[in-house]
Amino acid sequence: MSSAGRALGCITPPHILEKLLDSDDSDIRQAALNTLLTTARLRGERSVRASLAPSAAPANGRRTIFDCQSGTSLPMAVLARSEDGSASTDDSINRAFDGFGTTRRFYQDVYDRNSIDDRGMRLEGYVHRGVKYNNAFWDGREMVFGDGDGIIFTDFTNSLDVIAHELAHGVTEHTSGFEYRNQSGALNESMSDVVGSLVKQWSLRQTADDADWLIGNEVFTPGINADALRSMKAPGKAYDSELLGTDPQPDHMSKFVHLPDTDEGDDGGVHINSGIPNKAFYLVSVGLGGYAWEAAGLIWYGALKASTVTTQFQEFADTTYLKAEELYGAGSTEQEAVQAGWREVGIQITGMPGRSSARKQDAASGGAPDMAALTEQIEALSTQLKELAEEVRSLKAGK
Amino acid sequence: MKVTLTTHGGLAAAIHIQLPPRVVDTETLPGPAAAELSRLVAAAKAVKASPAGDERARDAMSYMITVEERGQSTTLAQSDVTMSAQFAALLNWLQQHAA
Repeated sequence: MSSAGRALGCITPPHILEKLLDSDDSDIRQAALNTLLTTARLRGERSVRASLAPSAAPANGRRTIFDCQSGTSLPMAVLARSEDGSASTDDSINRAFDGFGTTRRFYQDVYDRNSIDDRGMRLEGYVHRGVKYNNAFWDGREMVFGDGDGIIFTDFTNSLDVIAHELAHGVTEHTSGFEYRNQSGALNESMSDVVGSLVKQWSLRQTADDADWLIGNEVFTPGINADALRSMKAPGKAYDSELLGTDPQPDHMSKFVHLPDTDEGDDGGVHINSGIPNKAFYLVSVGLGGYAWEAAGLIWYGALKASTVTTQFQEFADTTYLKAEELYGAGSTEQEAVQAGWREVGIQITGMPGRSSARKQDAASGGAPDMAALTEQIEALSTQLKELAEEVRSLKAGK
Repeated sequence: MKVTLTTHGGLAAAIHIQLPPRVVDTETLPGPAAAELSRLVAAAKAVKASPAGDERARDAMSYMITVEERGQSTTLAQSDVTMSAQFAALLNWLQQHAA
């Protein structure tokens, strides 16, 4: 298609086509209009392709790290390291910088995604936020990391999966946009845990069986008796101590925790019920074996892009099943693994076999177009191109 | 004056949700510390609460500081993405001194 697009561009410059729109001959007007429309579409496609193309590190997703110097006001933070700058003497700054780089490379190399927005969005991080601040977060534009209180938590940049987790919130914002409440919020959290774990596994070249499937195991001080913030392999078992309490994450729908959609209720338990989709992803990954970022990760990433802000667990499960079919075929090992993974956490795939309800819902809700719809669009475009080429040939022959 | 701090959300929300509020009472504090807390509370109260922060924020923590004094109760609620410098100063003090 792109070669046809280039040929059309050479044959008839836009200003001539615009002139032809004023022609008395309706056939010529129609041909000119079709050409302009098609060329515009092709231009759009080329710009999209350009944004997808692998890029040199400095050109896209440029990294900048700021030092909050224990303050809480981000505008007051000072520049600490930029993409072209030299390494800092501050380990937190370098860890954030390197963690961004690894995560950016993961998205580019594995999922052909150019930074957070797939258009090379700058990656900005803030370290040393506040005094003894026990957290890391994504504020809608940038990532912020605390040093920890030194009693329970250490520096949050210590954990690559935490850095990737926060960056992945940005990706979710630019794809499905999962609402941060109840089940869609738990999916939002789960996608960040999935990516956090995958980036760590990818950087270590670990198989699903070798991976620890822990999130934030480096953020606790050595004296704290806890494996991590969360365990995707064993939700509910990351910690159990007098100081921290018991990990409340469920690993099955029968244990779903109903909490109010308030700050006090963790927005409906977004950090709690994420244990269910986390476990499903783990089960699919170990069920398939090998590298989790390949089949399992690709299916989940595809489902993320096909989901909408209000997608619930059931719809997401159905979408992963559909994506597995699109990527690997109906009844494939991958699709069966997806079905089994969700079944083990208490979610039965609906609409089997073939077209799931999620596809219909995507279309009805104006969500991302599915593969069948895209195929239809491409076929229609190809037909238009053929017709256009014929018309152009006719026009040339008539001159 | 009794001041209570509750913390919600954050990357470790599942841990915070189980932790009890932290409380400090000026009656149990040395004079200078009690005066410092009173000053910080007054400064935080004087600042108008910021509007809701960016709804796209994820893993940000929210804080509720309840001040009980002479039979009256006042609650200040802000988050990582909305807090004023005065609220941050009070929060920092409480995190270091409240049990």
